[in-house]
Amino acid sequence: MQIVQVLAYGILLGGVYALLASGVTLIFGVLDVVNVAQGAFLVFSALFTWQIWDLFGVEPLLLIPVMALLMFGLGWLIYRGMVRRVAPQGPGMTVLLMFGVALTMEGILNLVFGNKFKSVTPPYFTSSFTIGDLVLPMPQLISGVIGMSVLGLMYAYLRLSWAGRALRASAQNPDGAALVGISHVKTSAFAFGIGAATAGVGGVLLAIMYPIYPATQYDWIARLLGVVVLGGFGSIPGAVIGSMILGISEAFANTYLPQWSSLFFYGTILLILLFRPQGIMGTRTREDVA
Amino acid sequence: MPDVVMNLTDVQAGYGGGLVLQGLSLELEAGTITCIVGPNGAGKSTVLRVISGLLKPASGSVLLNGTELSGRSPAEILGLGIAQVPQSRALFPEMTVHENILMGGYVIRRNRALLHERLEMVQELVPIVKERAGDHAGNLSGGQRRMVEIGRALMLDPSIVLMDEPSLGLDPKSVAKVAEVIRGMAAEGRTVLLVEQNVRLGMNLATHGVVMEGGQVRLTGDAKGIADNPEVASMYLGKVAGS
Repeated sequence: MQIVQVLAYGILLGGVYALLASGVTLIFGVLDVVNVAQGAFLVFSALFTWQIWDLFGVEPLLLIPVMALLMFGLGWLIYRGMVRRVAPQGPGMTVLLMFGVALTMEGILNLVFGNKFKSVTPPYFTSSFTIGDLVLPMPQLISGVIGMSVLGLMYAYLRLSWAGRALRASAQNPDGAALVGISHVKTSAFAFGIGAATAGVGGVLLAIMYPIYPATQYDWIARLLGVVVLGGFGSIPGAVIGSMILGISEAFANTYLPQWSSLFFYGTILLILLFRPQGIMGTRTREDVA
Repeated sequence: MPDVVMNLTDVQAGYGGGLVLQGLSLELEAGTITCIVGPNGAGKSTVLRVISGLLKPASGSVLLNGTELSGRSPAEILGLGIAQVPQSRALFPEMTVHENILMGGYVIRRNRALLHERLEMVQELVPIVKERAGDHAGNLSGGQRRMVEIGRALMLDPSIVLMDEPSLGLDPKSVAKVAEVIRGMAAEGRTVLLVEQNVRLGMNLATHGVVMEGGQVRLTGDAKGIADNPEVASMYLGKVAGS
């Protein structure tokens, strides 16, 4: 039974990773920008959630739409104000830019919140959900279900809406997109905003799962980049599969080999990439081969 | 008096400081097929990019029925009825053929009835659009992709269609199909401006011919006259003048 328990826990963890990593992979897919500031966005959202919860005692989950909108706006502004200007210099420069943004945000968060762990502990923080012998911690259950639901909604939106189609078109062929009247700048700003909004939602979910302090951004961006590389850069389904593999392997490692947990996480990535260097869902079409 | 729909006057344009078009002037008549030929680097594709708004000219004017186009965005120019089928790889490879065609109607997306009407029209004109609707565009052959690209451009029911090397990389059967569609477009009253390396094919297809060299128009006339011009023949068709 313990195996089922650990598996369920791993899937929930994978659901949260999937939402967070999808933001990174979406931005990369449309803009060719590796957003190394996604970890800082996450921590920003988590600490902001903590602050409001601490001051007003507001149910943290109610802050999900607020943080999503706030981070969308921040992402949109960062793209329009900075990334757009630097992008013509190439992907290397945008990585440096986003690293600068991450460090600046971490510095500001350190000043405002101090370098101490903050925990959001709503009433259900220590409760659990029981089905037969299966016991799932409530924060992980809520976060996993919300993470997967938000990701599912976002995926459906990208598949079915005109804005989503424009994003995908721009990601696949910017020149072709311009020919049908899609503005690359508007689409890119929208993609950056959506990517940041996933960090907004994810930050609230992390806040109820883990203690957070500004420097935890490094741990998170390392994990997210690992997930995205494993899934295949630019592929949301790839990010989901990569998240599930890593979430489950991490849950098993935490249970059976806790001292080897990090090694297990990154070792899994290394092992899979040795056999599939383009990532799990990195594909080649007839056009790529031609 | 021919009905001139498009007028390019003394256009200069280029990339990164260097001018490719150096004072180009050109007229297009309604319902005609005009083919631009010329050596590599003559600026043929650049003419299309300037008209479609993908490249802003440094100077000169581009008039569509008296309306200035230079400085307008590609979306605005599309809205005015000018669609471009570029040289290659214009499709969205991981989208289905159906989605690719729908994207051709992006600027009219809010008018669902019109979008549906255009989709039906394109399915009729370009049968592969319906036959391969669910396939990913990236998995089509070169000829099939070219047909889908043309279908996508037709979604806006354009009055002017710009085509960059429509025969590039296609087998003779596919070339014949593409040529048939191009003739069909002109027969419906659309104006077609195409750039073609294959001079023989281009001039057979076109009603009017333009020879470009060094970013300028060197010769214009009816297509047959251009094809029969001894100088052009010696330059591009490998014939010896007078033979």
